Amino acid sequence: MGKIKQNPFVKKVGFNRIVLCFVLILLYGFFCVMTQGTFAGIDRILSALNYAYFLGFLSLGVTFVIATGGIDFSIGPVMFCCALVSGYSLISYGVPMAAAMVISLIVGLAFGIFNGYLVAYWSVPSFITSMASMNIAKGLASVFTKTQSVSWPQSAAEGGWYRNLVKMGDIPTGLIIFLLVAVVCAIVLNKTKMGRYILSLGSNKEAVRLSGVNVKKWEMSAYIICGVLVGISALFYVSAYTTVQPGYGDQYNNEAIAGCVMGGTSMAGGLASISGTVIGVFIIALLQEGILALGFTKDYQLIITGIIVIVAVFSDVLSRRRKN
Amino acid sequence: MADNKTKVAGRKESTIDRLGGQKFIVLLVVIALFIFFCIFSPNFRKYTTFVSILDYSYYITLMAIGVAFPLMTAGVDLSIGTGLVCYSLVGGYLITFHGWPTWAGMLISVLFGVGMGVVNGCLVALMDLPPFLATLCTCMITRGLGSIIVGGFGISWPAAAAPGGWFRSIFKIQMNGINIPIGFLWIILIVIAMTFVLNHTKIGRYTLAIGSNKEATKLSGVNVKFYHIFAYVISGFFAGLAAISYSAIFATVQPGTGAGFELEAIGGAIIGGVSMSGGAGSITGTLAGVFVICLLKTGLPFIGLTANWQQIITGLVLIAAVLVDILKRKKDRA
Amino acid sequence: MGEVILTMKDIDKSFPGVHALDHVDLEVRKGEVLALMGENGAGKSTLMKVLTGIYKKDSGTITYEGKEVEFTNTREAQDAGIVIVHQELNMLGHLTVAQNIFIGREFKKGIRIDDKKMNEEARKLFQRMNIDIDPKETMSKLTVGKQQMCEIAKAISHDAKVIIFDEPSAALTETEIEELFKIIRDLRDRNIGIVYISHRMDEIKKITDRVTVMRDGTYVGTLITKDSTKDDIINMMVGRVIYEDPKTESMVPKDAPVVLKVDHLNAGKMVQDVSFELHKGEILGFSGLMGAGRTETARALFGADPIDSGDIYINGKKVTINSPQDAVNNGIGYLSEDRKRYGIVVQKSVAENTTMATMENYMKGLFIDKKKEKEVAQKYVDSLATKTPDVDQLVVNLSGGNQQKVVIAKWLTRDCDILIFDEPTRGIDVGAKSEIYKLMNQLAADGKAIIMISSEMTEILRMSDRIIVMCEGKKTGELDISEATQESIMNLATREIE
Repeated sequence: MGKIKQNPFVKKVGFNRIVLCFVLILLYGFFCVMTQGTFAGIDRILSALNYAYFLGFLSLGVTFVIATGGIDFSIGPVMFCCALVSGYSLISYGVPMAAAMVISLIVGLAFGIFNGYLVAYWSVPSFITSMASMNIAKGLASVFTKTQSVSWPQSAAEGGWYRNLVKMGDIPTGLIIFLLVAVVCAIVLNKTKMGRYILSLGSNKEAVRLSGVNVKKWEMSAYIICGVLVGISALFYVSAYTTVQPGYGDQYNNEAIAGCVMGGTSMAGGLASISGTVIGVFIIALLQEGILALGFTKDYQLIITGIIVIVAVFSDVLSRRRKN
Repeated sequence: MADNKTKVAGRKESTIDRLGGQKFIVLLVVIALFIFFCIFSPNFRKYTTFVSILDYSYYITLMAIGVAFPLMTAGVDLSIGTGLVCYSLVGGYLITFHGWPTWAGMLISVLFGVGMGVVNGCLVALMDLPPFLATLCTCMITRGLGSIIVGGFGISWPAAAAPGGWFRSIFKIQMNGINIPIGFLWIILIVIAMTFVLNHTKIGRYTLAIGSNKEATKLSGVNVKFYHIFAYVISGFFAGLAAISYSAIFATVQPGTGAGFELEAIGGAIIGGVSMSGGAGSITGTLAGVFVICLLKTGLPFIGLTANWQQIITGLVLIAAVLVDILKRKKDRA
Repeated sequence: MGEVILTMKDIDKSFPGVHALDHVDLEVRKGEVLALMGENGAGKSTLMKVLTGIYKKDSGTITYEGKEVEFTNTREAQDAGIVIVHQELNMLGHLTVAQNIFIGREFKKGIRIDDKKMNEEARKLFQRMNIDIDPKETMSKLTVGKQQMCEIAKAISHDAKVIIFDEPSAALTETEIEELFKIIRDLRDRNIGIVYISHRMDEIKKITDRVTVMRDGTYVGTLITKDSTKDDIINMMVGRVIYEDPKTESMVPKDAPVVLKVDHLNAGKMVQDVSFELHKGEILGFSGLMGAGRTETARALFGADPIDSGDIYINGKKVTINSPQDAVNNGIGYLSEDRKRYGIVVQKSVAENTTMATMENYMKGLFIDKKKEKEVAQKYVDSLATKTPDVDQLVVNLSGGNQQKVVIAKWLTRDCDILIFDEPTRGIDVGAKSEIYKLMNQLAADGKAIIMISSEMTEILRMSDRIIVMCEGKKTGELDISEATQESIMNLATREIE
């Protein structure tokens, strides 16, 4: 074991990430075998990918927040709120498609600013702001849409071009965009001042503050990044599924957080891996798809995701205990 | 060591402090809200409205009393809302589909709650998971579990007139066609009992001690893990009781609901003066805080705002309550 | 002097990277006060933590009342009759005094906690100790000194056979110390074995019967107090280094310009009307007891805590400091007393910590120029002789002294003219200590102005050009090094203020 970890290739890529890749492959194999091969079809893969896109953006967003040592479990409902508000504007107020997409981003951004401002400038615990935003997002979406579900246009309809976000002909544009955004996120997190400060303040906020750094600004910026990514996520959700219903979205919180912590981002803050999150998201998306393929209901998804988060966070706790 | 730990004695007590501090202010808010709704809505000024406020208050109050304990250990329990629905579903399922007597179904609801409390407690106290994350997971798990056990359908506990429907009269009895909300009597008794537990028993003392300074409590030889777990058990137990009251008040329980109830309970507790940072709180304050939430919940529709608005306003009220707590601590430190 | 009640033999304990205890021996007898002495970091507290089960020993034996014992937690030690009065206060701020004293062993009446009896017992306890504290008062409302007394009361109430005092006097005023000694003598007369950990030589002479000395985690020897002189003890404590090496006169030229002037600074209750000046090339020592408000003054000056009123002038120009950012922009650097919490980001590398305050110098457009960052970090590793395998090493893996050097490097990259060193050598071993001293002297010689907060008298006397003494949030005196003595400083530090 120790020897494997010392191997230069393993060291460069990261032991955890290699393990995660194996898990991904094994999981895929498992589902293929269990479903007697029906899972191997391209439809299933595309379906899993559709799931992975919007979940991926949520997960990338929450990675930044968790890196600061905070949490955001309003992302699911906020994503729905973005999709509903922009979609309702599109359908009922005749806002052009491009503007509707901007509205989605703006709603996400607004929630990011709200959460970030309360956490960074008022030291409100992040789980409280999450809880409040979650309800505000649900309420707002319901009020705005008068509690009706919203259907975005189909591909062939006017303004349906937005669905090219996930798939343009046979090109999986969604995958390309998601990976590009992930690369940008990785660069922001690891190569820029913002990323450096986000990670450092997640590790020891007071020490960073006493170095003369404006920690409040940087902490808030993590939530803002998260908010914008949630806004993007909403667009990918509607591109894949077109219909959104108010009052839902909670289950994606846990799935996004699961992808993130599985990928090696520590709940204690200061440690985050974008590539880990990406692989983690694929595992979660595959798992959700697989559970349904095996004939189980959504309820099993909830339970299994819950257990995965517990196990992933506990292993992080254990590794920190060992270090101390 | 750190000089800044010092505090100089003798902050002058204000009149409000002497009257019970935040509790007193919250009580004023409750009265003000009540008067506000009475003035602006003629329909609100009715006995039936009063009863329906109390109907809503039972399960929120019970959850809030329970969740006050994890909050006072500087933790939180987010699983109580979906938990409530899950326990109610399971109890009701056994009664309606398996012919269990009502009391047995009620017992199962409570025991299930206690069981989830043990799980939450172990995740937090033994496995060191962040409380909000651990209970967020169990929140999702109970939601799925409830739905799976009952097969995804809504469950109705026996109606008041039906055999086994006696439990509904625990909370409401009819006399000469008038509903009498006797449930409130039980709530008062429970508040008194839990105030005693909080202030005069080891369980309460150590709950506060853990929230105040866990390490020091441990060094004093207290079995911190046990009492830390116990706080979550109390929370689960009360979620179980809340499940019974919920089943008694409402006709049908739907799987997949319950998310958001915890916000109302936690909001009530915090408004009532339970400190987010642990170590301080009161049960009577929690009761008063819950009534702020209940009044908003029942009152807002009367002035033309839908339940959706209530969700938004509850969120904002929670933030406001936490900000008050934060400002208070800031002032105390200065 | 009675029979032996407790023997610790060959105790060995290592932490990652530190050999904290190297085969240490200790013997406590009934009815005596044993002093346990040694420099900071000599291993006294660690030894006591091993005894009371907070740490698990690697090897060695503990014999108590003739039987070999091994406690796995403080509760077991307490139940056996060994209690410790901790250096850090372990109080539960929200609970009352009596509730604190009896936490974990409350009196009960049925299932009810008998608070009335607890208050009564606490009152009796305080009466016996002859101190005036209301058992019903909320703990956080007491002064530090009173809180310490409660800790002691708690220890006494355990019916202990061995009581360990871990630097109990650090936060106490002179009258409180007298009270404490009376209590200790009373305990001794009741045949209790007492271990008294302290740095203060006069206290050792006054109260103890024997002195056991430790140095760098090893046992040095034991002396009978009345048969030995102060120098004997000091020689054992320091070994090779000359301990007392005070500066005799200020190294600062008379006409050195004032770089920092603080005028009537108020910040909270711990900083009241503090005024002073700091000159170029000067090391200004801040002395005082724990809780005197020195750290608070520094933090307010640095913008870490809000200022209520008062003016700050830098190079004659009035400046506004509302945040650490403002302070840093005005050329002030702050090295915190609590490195782990406020100084370093332990999970980050040496390089990342070094550049923390000066990120903008290492940017290439939007991106961090990691090559340049490492070069600069390496430069400071070389010039400060920081012991680290490379600059990518996580700071958590360095020793205390080297961590401190990383923090110093952080401020040097910023080229700060004013540096505040808060307890610069706390938790640092003797060798690294003198290196830090050398470095500070070098910085002063290069024209930096230094404020040094220190609780170690010898450090104050050895390093400072001028000394400011604080007590209970107020400045009580200012001494030139040529006129300062331990006595004159202590006098000012314990002065009662009306």
